Amino acid sequence: MLLEQLINGLTLGSIYAIVALGYTLVFGVLGIINMAHGEIFMFGAFMGVVVTHTLQLPLALAFLVAIAVTAMLGLFLELIALRPLRGKKGVSHLAPLISTIGVSIFLENLAHHFFGAGNRPFNTSFSQLSIQIGSVTIYAVQLVIFAIAILLMISLSFWLSKTKAGKALRACAENLEAASLLGVNTKKMIMLTVIIASVIGGIAGVLVGMAFNSVTPQMGLSMGLKGLAIIILGGMGSVRGAMVGGLILGLSETMIVVFGESGYRDAIAFIAIIIILLVRPQGLFGQPVTEARR
Amino acid sequence: MILEVKEITKKFGGIQALTDVSFRVNQGEVFGLIGPNGAGKTTMFNIITSMFPPTTGEVVFIKKRLTGKKPYQITKEGVCRTFQNIRLFPDMTVLENVTVGQHCRTSSGVWSGVLKLKSQRMEEESIKRKARDLLRLVGLEELEDSFADNLAYGQQRRLEIARALASDPKLLLLDEPAAGMNEKETNDLFELIQKIKKLNMTILLIEHDMPLVMKVCDRMAVLNFGKKIAQGTPEEIRNNPAVIEAYLGREEEDELA
Amino acid sequence: MLAELINPYYLQVLSFILINIILGISIYITLSTGQLSLGHAGFMGIGAYTSAIVTINYDLPLIVGILLGAIVAGLTGILIGLPTLRLQGVYLAIATLGFGEVVRVLFINWEGMTQGAVGISSIPHIGRELVTGLRDTGFTADMIGIRSNQLISVLVFLILLVVTILLISFFVRQHRSRVGRAFAAIKMDESAAEAMGINITYYKVLAFAQGALVAGFAGALYAHITAYISPSDFSYHRAVEILIFAVFGGSEVIAGPIFGAIFLTSMPELLRDVSEYRYMIYGVILVAMMAFRPQGLIDYNMIHKLKRLRKKKDQKTIDEKESKRHDIGS
Repeated sequence: MLLEQLINGLTLGSIYAIVALGYTLVFGVLGIINMAHGEIFMFGAFMGVVVTHTLQLPLALAFLVAIAVTAMLGLFLELIALRPLRGKKGVSHLAPLISTIGVSIFLENLAHHFFGAGNRPFNTSFSQLSIQIGSVTIYAVQLVIFAIAILLMISLSFWLSKTKAGKALRACAENLEAASLLGVNTKKMIMLTVIIASVIGGIAGVLVGMAFNSVTPQMGLSMGLKGLAIIILGGMGSVRGAMVGGLILGLSETMIVVFGESGYRDAIAFIAIIIILLVRPQGLFGQPVTEARR
Repeated sequence: MILEVKEITKKFGGIQALTDVSFRVNQGEVFGLIGPNGAGKTTMFNIITSMFPPTTGEVVFIKKRLTGKKPYQITKEGVCRTFQNIRLFPDMTVLENVTVGQHCRTSSGVWSGVLKLKSQRMEEESIKRKARDLLRLVGLEELEDSFADNLAYGQQRRLEIARALASDPKLLLLDEPAAGMNEKETNDLFELIQKIKKLNMTILLIEHDMPLVMKVCDRMAVLNFGKKIAQGTPEEIRNNPAVIEAYLGREEEDELA
Repeated sequence: MLAELINPYYLQVLSFILINIILGISIYITLSTGQLSLGHAGFMGIGAYTSAIVTINYDLPLIVGILLGAIVAGLTGILIGLPTLRLQGVYLAIATLGFGEVVRVLFINWEGMTQGAVGISSIPHIGRELVTGLRDTGFTADMIGIRSNQLISVLVFLILLVVTILLISFFVRQHRSRVGRAFAAIKMDESAAEAMGINITYYKVLAFAQGALVAGFAGALYAHITAYISPSDFSYHRAVEILIFAVFGGSEVIAGPIFGAIFLTSMPELLRDVSEYRYMIYGVILVAMMAFRPQGLIDYNMIHKLKRLRKKKDQKTIDEKESKRHDIGS
């Protein structure tokens, strides 16, 4: 029983980690919080529903469609909500935050109109596949989620540190201006970052649909809030922090359900935020907030 | 002696911005802090005003330790500054900018402001009167209703000085007040500094304009790569071989490049 | 005659506009030191629930309940503000967003107190309480020839109007005082403000707590004019709605959020078709405002120009008078 819960916690944590990776990537490069990330994730989940349930097409196609659609959303996000604010005089650091909140609320209500407010089932035969080891049931979906999370993290770390594009991206993260002086096409790199982050969110969306068999327009908000909690917990802009923070949150949420306080499950993330901000504002893996007072 | 800077060292990560710098400023003098770009002059200002703490060392102002205090407390103690990259309140009028400078010398709170008590009205009047006096001093009295953002560069620099003076400082820190000014504006600035000095104020000045520095300063210290390499009167500094070597040598390099 | 003029429905819409103006003011105060709060729905909820609970369970008078609701919200604001205000703006925004969610989860789960997701109904209604009170003094609606429910709506509207005007004049005066200048200085340049001797932590916490207090106050009023509240009234959507009053109307001068609240609350009433797409339009507004006019429709410049125009007019009349006097003299 406990072992099963542990596996559930790891699965949930892996999903949280994947969502948080999207936030981290954008924050690391652009220094902004993309409040629309949760809703892009939700669109990914709905693409999964539409492809597998409504159109009765194979699961693999669902991933492809989700990736394509969320990539488009990322592109629009960058072109409409982020680029117009960049480098404009007198724009406060809160502007991109407000602008992405606008995108998030727009997307959520767009989903309402397209898909209705209710709960949509995500039935694939794959969701039912399970392995029985002793008294413990492990669903194939859980293994897939775990594997994808690990894969994403490894490939992201590898891509960032080893490939040319990744190095350019990291140069952007260090200093946008310097990177552009060094001949990095920052415009392209920023767009690439936002698109990759969105696609990661879209993949997470399909995975969540599979694992929990429920997709609603509101899921973007609650998942987005948790992703934010995780990047504060793990440290803004830290890939490792996003993974560890995600797992911590997933496990502790599962545990609180085991101990019977399921109603407060959704509050854990935010109690964690408040505590971490008090004790260690830079997060578990973040660089100490430097003395530069803005 | 009004200000004593004792063995200040400042490290940013691995970079040593200041190493063991000490100097003293006497009551009523204009003390120059000069040196090539990146020598650590503005860092020193930021440490004196507690914008960030020194790694080691301390700053003492009229027998009180400034190190460890918050920036606003230091202003209240009587040390106020201007900024190298002008930092006025852009969407406030010229007059409002100067009234904000008087914040720490006035006391009205929420209720007296909202109820417009007599004490508050009198305070407001005296704030305005003093602000206008200061604007007259720096020659901006005609522009009191303009937005700070719309002023010409030299005017903005003078407004920053007026705003700093509004806090009744005993020690005024000026960070490159002549930067970007033409010859006439620099001359006006020289006159202004003379006027301020007559108000029984001590001035600590960072400046690159050497003729101005030599004309206006009583004494000065020279920083190079975060270390103090010389100190003395303008005459002494002019003839100091270490200064010529470090300071002028570098300028020649700049010219060559 | 009077009876035909008073339409309870329109008065109710006007009352909601006034509540939204108060909410707009609450976010404006927080923004006036450059801080973005996404937790104002939470503060509003705390005010609403506190007042509802104490008036129902402990039979306290309405006015005590409403003030208590505002105070509890304000104190919570101080509690949340103190640790988070030392951090950068982005952290504050997320922390307040989290706070709002925690409050909502608390309302849902603390069933003994809040009746959970169902919400609290039959909260004492300001208008009805007043009409009952008036009846005791011998005054009834038919004495001035209107129905009782008309009198209720009129009373609610008038009370809200007075309260709103008082609040506006409070903050207009504060804005023009030493405190208001400190707020503005912090918003424009925090470091420069601190270097000019302003205790920025104190003023930021003050502004944040004032914003929370006013939001709580609005929430308490809301509870007593709808007579029913539930956790979903104080969700993230409400927080965004409050924010958009200031983003759209403008956050630099108090006229901004007031205009924003009036316009955005009456728009769905005037255009029925719009109401369905309300939140999508909100989203578009937020994005468009940031791109084209981040300070909102009404800004310092506009107010300044208006003032100048007025000054010029005054100057003109003075000049005319003087020239007249001159004419007489010669």
